[in-house]
This record gives sequence, structure tokens and C-alpha cells, in this order.
Amino acid sequence: MSPFQRPVIRLVSLLALTTWITVPLLVSGQEGSSSVSPSKVERKNKAPLSTETLRVHLPKPVEAKLANGLMVLILEDHRLPNVLVELHLRRAGALFEPDNLSGLASATAQMLREGTHQRSSRQIAEELDRLGASVGAGSSFGSTETVFTASGLSENFDGWFAVGLDILLHPSFPAAELNQFKERTKVQLRQQRASSGFLAGERFNRAVFGGHPAAVVAATLESINALTPDLLTKWHREKYSPRDALLAVAGDVSPAELIPKLEKSLGNWRGARRSQRMPPNPAPAATRKIYLVERPNSVQTTLTVGNIAIDRRSEDFVPMVVMNHLLGGSAAGRLFLNLREEKGYTYGAYSNFTALQYPGPWRAGADVRTDVTEGALTELFNEIRRIRESKASETELAETKRSVVAGFALSLEQPARLLAFALTRKFYNLPDDYWDNYPAKIDAVTAEDIQRVARKYLNPEAMQIVAVGDGRKIKPALEKFGTIEVYDTEGKRIP
Amino acid sequence: MRKGENPLPGPRARLLTLLAFTLILPQIAWSGEASISQPAKPKVSFQEFTLKNGLRAILSEDHAAPTYSICVTYNVGSRDERPGRTGFAHLFEHMMFQGSANIGKGEHFILILNNGGSANGTTNADRTNYFETLPANQLELGIFLEADRMRALDVTQVNFDNQRHTVQEERRLNYDNRPYGRTAETVLDTAYDNFAYKHSTIGSMEDLNAASIDDARAFFQTYYAPHNAVLSLVGDFQTETALALIKKYFESIPSEGSPPVPDMAEPEQTGERRRNIEDAFAQAPRIDIVYKIKQGNTPDWYALRVLGHIMAGDLSSRLYQKLVKELEMVVSVSAGPDERRGTSLFWVSLVVRPDKSLQEVERLVYEEIERLKKEPPAQWELDKVRMKLKRQQAQELYSTRSRANSLGHYAVYYNDPNLINSALDKIAEVTKADLQRVADTYLTESNRTVVTTLPKSKADQKR
Repeated sequence: MSPFQRPVIRLVSLLALTTWITVPLLVSGQEGSSSVSPSKVERKNKAPLSTETLRVHLPKPVEAKLANGLMVLILEDHRLPNVLVELHLRRAGALFEPDNLSGLASATAQMLREGTHQRSSRQIAEELDRLGASVGAGSSFGSTETVFTASGLSENFDGWFAVGLDILLHPSFPAAELNQFKERTKVQLRQQRASSGFLAGERFNRAVFGGHPAAVVAATLESINALTPDLLTKWHREKYSPRDALLAVAGDVSPAELIPKLEKSLGNWRGARRSQRMPPNPAPAATRKIYLVERPNSVQTTLTVGNIAIDRRSEDFVPMVVMNHLLGGSAAGRLFLNLREEKGYTYGAYSNFTALQYPGPWRAGADVRTDVTEGALTELFNEIRRIRESKASETELAETKRSVVAGFALSLEQPARLLAFALTRKFYNLPDDYWDNYPAKIDAVTAEDIQRVARKYLNPEAMQIVAVGDGRKIKPALEKFGTIEVYDTEGKRIP
Repeated sequence: MRKGENPLPGPRARLLTLLAFTLILPQIAWSGEASISQPAKPKVSFQEFTLKNGLRAILSEDHAAPTYSICVTYNVGSRDERPGRTGFAHLFEHMMFQGSANIGKGEHFILILNNGGSANGTTNADRTNYFETLPANQLELGIFLEADRMRALDVTQVNFDNQRHTVQEERRLNYDNRPYGRTAETVLDTAYDNFAYKHSTIGSMEDLNAASIDDARAFFQTYYAPHNAVLSLVGDFQTETALALIKKYFESIPSEGSPPVPDMAEPEQTGERRRNIEDAFAQAPRIDIVYKIKQGNTPDWYALRVLGHIMAGDLSSRLYQKLVKELEMVVSVSAGPDERRGTSLFWVSLVVRPDKSLQEVERLVYEEIERLKKEPPAQWELDKVRMKLKRQQAQELYSTRSRANSLGHYAVYYNDPNLINSALDKIAEVTKADLQRVADTYLTESNRTVVTTLPKSKADQKR
């Protein structure tokens, strides 16, 4: 996922001791018989704190438009001799791939480095490595865009940027290199099936997105076999276009010097004038369903629960940010404190949500040892119910909001993060002063807002539940939560 | 557990009302204009101080962003563990978040995250570190938190048991439930003879189960003392103010005794060692070839760092071009030294295509190594490594955390925090002759250990 699709902000929650400990938590029945008092989070409130919240203004990049319409953002930052260039090709994402060609966008992006009309794959690798630069491109599944990234030292910027542009604009997609790429990719497809996290993500996206193209999280052997140089050339010709693209630069550059260079090197770039329609939005599932992926030899269960929630321009985005972080956004979130710090079920329990141009899922999850699968799932749902059914305390709310606002200061260390804020604003057509006003919007969120968005967007009765683990051992526990469909690690349904 | 007192847990009253709250301007404007200056060669300047109790403090003032990072690096790691208690240094690291005299269980994370910061702790074979990054107006908070837990940890049996579970889940997540999770442990166990590095930092389930709260008390008393730690502070503060706070909170923590120095002697290896393991999750075989080498920050270690990069550090490297691209036998390859305070390892690690011969891949690796011994590498190969590492460093220096951690790392490992600036010069000094020499000296048959990880055949797997 490219960094600007979700806001790069640190949001964390804080629960007052009274809120946590006085709420009786249901015991799982698995480990609850222990006679020892449980481990509990405790606040002594003795540490010296500044009561001021340090508020910062995010620097705004210089904006320019090249002759061909390409929008350029430049964030000047001379602390260190580095330059980062990101080109966001906003109509070239995997979301728009034909059904039978999953992986086409990603393959086209990765194959840019494997040959141009002037340079072989090896020459490109050597030239870039000599300059100490990194150049590459990618398009993740579900994304509307391909992102081309080039970065290196400012002292040899002209050298590596020129190679980068050759790769971007004049790839030749040699057949022999494509064949090699396909063989490497097929091994990787096989390897990722060993990861319980991959299997959980694959099944979860299928479950929540249904017929929407974001249901796909990986290519298949068939779709990789179907790739040809002609298909990649066509995709590159039709989708890589300065129209709707955003070129973002951060680091040790001067806009006055850079803009004429960009005009010279990119101003003549013309792309196809084809518009791209978004697929119809995914619809939230109507009923709860449980997907068990049987992964032999598992010693943990990878649990994911969730449902489709909101898109990035939703009016509920800001309260959703606060609600999610209070619930599971960090090591101070309710999920972490309950499932790890109190129960010891897991190394970590978190929640997050994906809000793009189309509605994406809110989800919560944890990897837990096999014999507490039922207890962990019970606690996940307890916390979901709790945030829906009772209001957060004023302290908890105030502290969560404070953490969100205070966290902005940290982003000032990294030009790449500042660039991501600027890109989010441009990408979603947010107002110029969006980030200036963001702290005030966070401050305005009420306990009622949090409860309202939790009730609206977290629907335990219709949530999709995915469990990857030792099927024989966990199936009886899962059956208590609803109807189960069973899959193998190849993604095939087992009757 | 308090320093210099009977190690019994219990809160201790402190006069917190006397603490001055630093007031920072509520609005800090930060814009591109403010930061325009000539790019200089990146250099981290810092000042060093030693407190009366032996705590070493390294302060590096930098006002580029309104943030700071604090890192406390303790001179203790899994190499200090005894047989039967593997994994203990790391389990103890978790306990440092479970409460101290003035901080409740879990409150450490809550205080940091709640005020816009981030925090973590990490353990390796040679050291344990704890670090926080916070907005600049919370300078006192970070210093207080680190001092409070160095002074008086407050550990209970239920919290100990809770973190024992958590660490066991960490082990399952990162080792037992994923492909190649047991490979590195097997390599260490096979290559090393000395217990210090022979066992993994995560430790065994059995030993984690055996660990007791008494062990924790003893460990705290022995190793978590001010004269066994380095505090590094980097970012937006006035050195004078920060130093006064550090003295205020840390200087009265008593230092007693000297932690035992582990025996790190590693006998010379006299013949190749081989081991095959089966992996229930792996989909493709993996070969790990390791060689015992000198400790970090030695001329030979730097030469091996450059050599590893030339072998497999990037897409134009020798093994990538040969084995991944030209011959299409390997899915991925990496090479280079790990960095230890004692005998380190030079690793070559390859994931092999399922239909290719492991013997042939291994032979080709040795062929490339022999070529490195016979012919010096090309000048461009040397130049690219210098350029890459220079850039990598320039990238890392944005982060105050990265700088604080590096200062602590270099101070504890080599007693030379200025390596944050000079390590790159040592890389630049490596010559072609050095590369041939270290290949000749270390990358030999009798000095190598080869571990092969094979996918367990599906038929053997239980449903």
C-alpha cells in the first residue's frame, strides 16, 4: 500500500484505569479457571508531564504544473543530502486489471527495470548501484495506482534521475526477461502460501469484498502464465499517463532549479487520454460467516474479524480514526491491553481500517496460541461490543485526542512522511488548509461520535471471521460463533 | 526491586510535586524556509558526560524537528544467560514495561503513546536497549520513565507469568509458526561451541517455563545498574537543561558491584560442519553457509561487510546476477557479516528453486568465493559499496531514534560513540587487497558451517 492512501499519523488511545478494570470481562472458559488474580494494567499517575500539547504546522510543498499537465509537488528540505521522487500514476493500479490477468499492473511496474530501448537489465542494475540510488515501481492489489519511486543522494541526482526516467518512459519488456520474471514470481506465489498472515488476508478480502476487485490479493499461476510482452506494453501505453498523475519530490533540491529540469525531461511526455471508471463500491456483508483455513502444523491461530466500513472522503473519517485508535490502534489500545497485557493470549492485538477512494474494511486481529482461540475471539467481540454499547470516559477521550494531535510532531523528522501528508491532501482533493485544521477536527470528536461510528461501522452480527490454524483443534471452538466454511492452504474449499 | 536495597517489590513515595513542568511554546511554526541551509557532510555532534554513579550520558542537540529520542542501552544480552535460562534477557526486557516505583504495569506505553510518542525495547546477544521518541516538550517524561525503572522495578508474579505467555507467543509467531523459523537457531547451535552465542536470544519454551521471579530480581540487581548502561539523548533540547534533568533523576541511583564478564572465547573450528533440518512450512529449500569471523569494528569485519555487499548486496551483485538471473537456480540470496562483540558470523543464505540441485548451488557459491580470492574485485564494485553505505547512513540520520540507538550501540559495543561518524571512513579504507585477504582467511572449508532447510514432504504432514 502506498503511504498516502491512509493518513500517516500516529494515533493512540489511553484508557483510564477505572474504565478498564471495573468493566467485567468475560472469561473465555479456556484459561479462566486459574485461581490467581489476573495481570492488570495499572496507572499510578506520578510521571511528570507537560500539560501543553505541542502543536505543529506541517510544511506545505511548492506546487507546479508542467506543460503536459503533470502536477508537481516539491518539499524542500536540506537537512541531509538526499532526494526522494515519487510518481503516482493514478489510473494504473491493480484494481483496474482484467479479471484473468491478476498481477498485470505489478508485473508491468516491476519489469520496468528489466530493460529499455537503450539499456539492458544488467546495465540498469549496475548504473543505479554505482550511483547508490534506488529506483523501482509497484502496484499493490486493491490499489488504484502504480507508484514509481526513485531516490538517492543529491550529489548525483541528475545521473540517477535520468536512468529512472528512461526506465519509466521507455521500457522494452524483453521477452526473455519476462519469462524469468514469471518463473521467479511463480515460486514466490508458492512461498507466500506458507505464511498464515497471507492466508488470513487472502480469505478475509474474499469475504468482505465479495465481487469487488479488491477481493483479489495475489496473482495466480494461470494469470502469471498468461502475461506477454504485448500485454505489458499495452498496459504501460494506456495507463502510464501524466494526466491525473502526481509527481512528488522531497529533500535536498531547489524548486527554482528543479522545475525547469522537470519541464525539459518530462514536459513532452504524453499519455493516452483514456479515463478509468471505478468499479461499484463493495457492499457490507449481511450475515456473519466464519472461514477456517486449515494450515497443518500450526501452533497459533491467526484471527481476523471485520467488515467493510468507510472511504477516505467519508464525513466519519475523523471520528473513525479516534475510535479505532482507542480500540486497537497501538500498544495502549483496548485490544492490546486486554488480549496481551491482561490475558497473555498473544504477542500483539490491534485493529486498523483502510479508507481509500472506495470503502475498505475495518478489521481487528491477533495471532494467538491454538488452545486460546475461543477465548481470544470472545475477547475481540467483547471489546467490539463494549465500544458500541458504552461511552468512552471523558479522560479516555481527551487523552486519545491529545495523542493524535501531539503525534504530528514526530512526522517532522522525516521528509517522506511530510510528503505523504501533502499527497493525501492532493489525492483526495482535500482543502489546502486540511492539515492545519485537522487537530481542531480531532479535538471536536465527542464520546457520542465514537459510539455512533462504532455502532454504524462495527457490526458484530455481520462480521466476517477468518481463522488460520490447526483445523482439527480449533473447529469446535469456531462453531460456537456461527456457520463455518473450511478451506485448505491452496485456497480451495473443503466440503 | 530497588538498587541498593532489599530486592522486594513495592512502590516508593516520591516528591513529585516538586517537579518543574517545562513549558514549551504551544505553537511551533516549522516551515521549509526555516530549514534552508547548505548541505554539509552529515555529521552527528555530541557531548559526553559521566555521572557520579558511573552512568554514561551522550547528548546530541539538534533542533531540526521539535522532537527528541532517548535510548538507554544496557550492557547485557543473551550472551550473559546461563544454561537452563535461555531467553531470559529478553523476557526480562518485557518486565521493564511491567511497572516500577512510580509507573504502573502497562503505564509506560500508555504515557508515551498518549503524548504522541513511540517506544520499544529490543534484546540481542550483546546488549538490551530501551528507547522513546517524544515531542520536545515532554523531555522530562522520557528521562523520568527510564530513571524510574532503572532505580526500582516493581514486578509481581502474575505480571511475570503474563509476560512469559506473551514472550512464548512471540516465539511461536516469529519462529515456530512460520517458514525457516528454526533455521537461524540451528545455524547458531551448529556453528558455535561457546554457550554464549550458541543459543538463540528468544530461548527455548522449556527455559522460558523454568524462569522465575527470583531470577528476575537477581538479573535486575546484577545488570541493570547505572554503571552498566549508556544513556543517549538526541534532538530538540538544551544540553544544559537536559543534563540537569538526567542528574536529577539518575544520579542518586546506586551502583554496586560489577556485573560478571562473560567468557566469550570461541575455539577455532577445524573442520566443516553440516546439518539438515526439515521445515513443515517451507515451500522451497534453503541453504545457509556461515563462516566464523572476527568481532565487529575490526578492519577484517569492515572488509567482510564490503565483500558481502559485492557478493549479494544488490541487483548488480555477483551471486544475484549469476544464480538468480543467469542460471535461474535461486529465488533469493543474501550475504554479509552479523555484528557481534565476540566472534561473528559471515552468512550466505540462499532460497533455492524447488526443482534445482542444492549441491550444484552450493558448488557455485564456493566457485564465486574462490574467484574472489584469486582476482581482486573491480574498482566500480568497491565504489558502489561506498556510495550505497554513504547513502544509507544519510537516510538513517533523519531519525533521532536511529541516532540515539547508534550512539548507545557504539558506546556499549566498542566504547566509541563517534563510530556513528567514523564507521563510514573505515569502510572507505577497505582495499582490494583487504578483500582478497579476508576471503582467503575466513571463507574456507574448515571454517564453515552449512545448514540445509528442506521442506517437509506433504505426505509426512498431519492434517
